[in-house]
Amino acid sequence: MPLNRNLALTGLIALLAFLSLYPMLMLFYGSIHSTPPGMAGEFNLAGYRALLTPADIKILANTVGLSLVKTVIALVLAVLLAWIIARTDTPGREMLEVLITLPFFIPPVLTAMAWGMLGNKQVGVLNEAWKWLTGSQTSPINVYSYAGVIWHLLQYSTPFLFLFIVQAFRAMDPSLEESSRMSGASRWQTFWRITLAMMLPVVTTGFILSFMRGIESFESPFFFGIPAGIFVLTTEIYQAINYRATPDYQYATALSFAVMLLMVLLVVWQWRLLGSRAFQTVTGKAYAPSVIRLGWLRWVTFAFCILFFVATVVLPVGQLLAGSFFKFFGFYGWDMLTLDHYRDVLASREFWRAAGNTMALGLMGATATMVLGGIVAYITTRTHWRGRRLIDVLAWLPWMMPGMVLGVGFLWGFAMLPGPIPIYGTIWALLLAYMALGTPVAVRIMSGVYQQLSHDLEECSRVHGAAWWPTLWRIVVALTWPSFAVGWVLTFFMILRELSASILLYSIGSEVLSVYMLKLWTNGRAEEVSVIGLLMVVLVILFRWAQLRFIQKRISVL
Amino acid sequence: MRPLLRLLCLCVAVAWPVMAAAQDAAGWNKVIEAAKKEGRVVVYNSAIGSPFYKAAIESFEKKYGIAVDTLDIRANEMRERIRTEQAAGRFLGDVTQPGQATATNQERDNAFQPHGGVPNAGNLRPPFAATAIQVPAFVQAYGILINTNLVKPADEPRSWTDLLDAKWKGKILFDDPRAIGGGQVMFFATYDALGREFHDKFSQQGLTLSRDLRNDERRIARGEFPMYVPEVLAFSLDLKGLPVKLIIPSEGVPYVTIVSVILRNAPHPNAARLLINHVLEPEVQLFYANGGQVPVTDVLAKVDPDKRPLAGAKLMGTTNAPRQDAMLSLAKDLYK
Repeated sequence: MPLNRNLALTGLIALLAFLSLYPMLMLFYGSIHSTPPGMAGEFNLAGYRALLTPADIKILANTVGLSLVKTVIALVLAVLLAWIIARTDTPGREMLEVLITLPFFIPPVLTAMAWGMLGNKQVGVLNEAWKWLTGSQTSPINVYSYAGVIWHLLQYSTPFLFLFIVQAFRAMDPSLEESSRMSGASRWQTFWRITLAMMLPVVTTGFILSFMRGIESFESPFFFGIPAGIFVLTTEIYQAINYRATPDYQYATALSFAVMLLMVLLVVWQWRLLGSRAFQTVTGKAYAPSVIRLGWLRWVTFAFCILFFVATVVLPVGQLLAGSFFKFFGFYGWDMLTLDHYRDVLASREFWRAAGNTMALGLMGATATMVLGGIVAYITTRTHWRGRRLIDVLAWLPWMMPGMVLGVGFLWGFAMLPGPIPIYGTIWALLLAYMALGTPVAVRIMSGVYQQLSHDLEECSRVHGAAWWPTLWRIVVALTWPSFAVGWVLTFFMILRELSASILLYSIGSEVLSVYMLKLWTNGRAEEVSVIGLLMVVLVILFRWAQLRFIQKRISVL
Repeated sequence: MRPLLRLLCLCVAVAWPVMAAAQDAAGWNKVIEAAKKEGRVVVYNSAIGSPFYKAAIESFEKKYGIAVDTLDIRANEMRERIRTEQAAGRFLGDVTQPGQATATNQERDNAFQPHGGVPNAGNLRPPFAATAIQVPAFVQAYGILINTNLVKPADEPRSWTDLLDAKWKGKILFDDPRAIGGGQVMFFATYDALGREFHDKFSQQGLTLSRDLRNDERRIARGEFPMYVPEVLAFSLDLKGLPVKLIIPSEGVPYVTIVSVILRNAPHPNAARLLINHVLEPEVQLFYANGGQVPVTDVLAKVDPDKRPLAGAKLMGTTNAPRQDAMLSLAKDLYK
């Protein structure tokens, strides 16, 4: 058994190292060499020296500040929304849960375009409505600002954190809260000292993941920051690669490693914060997730959810939906009404080929990533095997590097593999890149739920004579399926949207939807991009609905 | 004897071009045969999704029965992809069409191989000329886009210097000149033609800089700004029906020459050469011209009348590789 275990562990470490460490090493080489891999040059630290300028320090402060503000706001919103959905008797919770998560799945380029129409200072729809209603001549909203960048980021962070947290709320044994109430604590004290405290692993993990994503986010600062003179690390990296006569990969990769250092500090902070404390909320005792009866307040919580949905989905998606039926976005006249955009998309062979490839990659990629993430999380949280910390670190690595740079790491890494290893230029290159990009989230989601699972359950099963595998299958897997399903959907749609690595790795015949959408976008066919975005929203609704039915069924079984 | 010699010389002189042409034709026929044997050609295309590219490729496939595989990819990513593939010994692509300055930088990196001559290069009109590596394919040029609801006909700018008028202060959306792209091409050309003084004044016009060109032209149409510079002439055709108008300034238009090149160790060199030649056929040049680009051969008379002002726009100036870094740095100093 130890021999088999060691072999399996070695294989897992090798796989993770190939997916994350290998492209990182290529990037590290790029950061300390005057030219990219394969070109004559010299080793130096010019890339790192270039970081120590006042301009870069200002960019760093901008990046951290923006990400911190948006993460704090998003976390508060997400906890509140998750609590409303999972633990209160707010009406229509099943429907609201699907609606709240929708923004996360819409390509940011589309919502950016919609918010550009809604919130521009000059003729934005919201500003015009405000002027019409109040008779004022001033425009209160300007999306091309710090607030605009934060607002756009929030629309992705809040549902992401919500998805992360809502399952943990559901999986919590309410007896702990009941004990608190019986001991005289108020509802608020119980929420703060018991509910939230027991959620610490999930909340801090969600916070760190979201903060990291904030630092690595590109679309929001690109669309709303640059026109307002707001620069962040990712736009600086983008400029170094795309705005110079000769792309400066040394500076871009050095900057990315500076980002990574920041991320490492955050992860270490989380490890120290959680330490060896126990957060097990799912025990062997039977329980049913309790629902707090809010009385008339349930209509307030309902209104809050609806308000969130209107602000983050109805307004931008409404623009996209309306725009998709007119020749041009934002120009609404009878003579402009058309179904041509739908016809063009649905009649395009390229679209169907890209959709087919993407669905295949999404299904395979999400499943493989979640299985890998589940294994890594199990080893790191529920065993004391040697090497588990190394596995955890390897699984984290891809999350610490901005996507557009990691894409270059994959390109360099896969292309430089020895000839007989047939990965570069095949669909497998995309699959492996997606697995690497998705594993950190998969691991975090599964780690959170494993940490909540009491060891008694497995021990009980073993005491009653079950072997390791039946115990794993009938106890651990059975109890963690709902979180697995959430992670699967998150990874699936991450694959659907992923562009940075896809554009560098796809080959003729393996086009994916994100590349096809880019093609339409750069050709000025924003309306057709919206049609595809809307089709993706429909897909999300179907997936989320099926997933929630599944989770409900599992919970009723439990 | 001497008259006989003269006669002989005369015969040779008359027959030589005919023989040479016949020999050339025979040589080119061999290229066509070899290309057909290769059966396919792989194009790394940065004119992503453009209809004129698609039309050019379809006409090539129809004419020669050679399949064209296209890998659509953005310019800078394509450059790195080509570099990485070649460094790794993976020679997968045959042809690409970068801007001339980028092509010159890539040529310096040994990314291309000589095309070996293409007959249609003889049809290029001045100032365009082929080198052993680069063959001009078409020209992408830039003008001024205005919102017709916000700019009265009497106020329409007629020259680049009209943009310096105080009435446009705070009202111009400008493609960021500190980055490779249209804004930098305009900066380059106007700097050379109108001097630094133009930019000293223009930079004080309260410009809004942006890098989202396809969205930027929509922002003009929606009335967020009255004016956007520089607008790709071809892109303006996609805005038909919106309240916008393209202005071609009196001094002319900044432009970028797009060139066809064969990638080093191309797996299908003859098909690549044939495709580069095909791009210069009159029918293909008309695809480009009717798509709003400027042709590099003399086909203007056959261009659709409504596209002729674009295809025949006076060319003002362009970028060049050796000065590119210095001009980017100058733009950074001027536009903060």
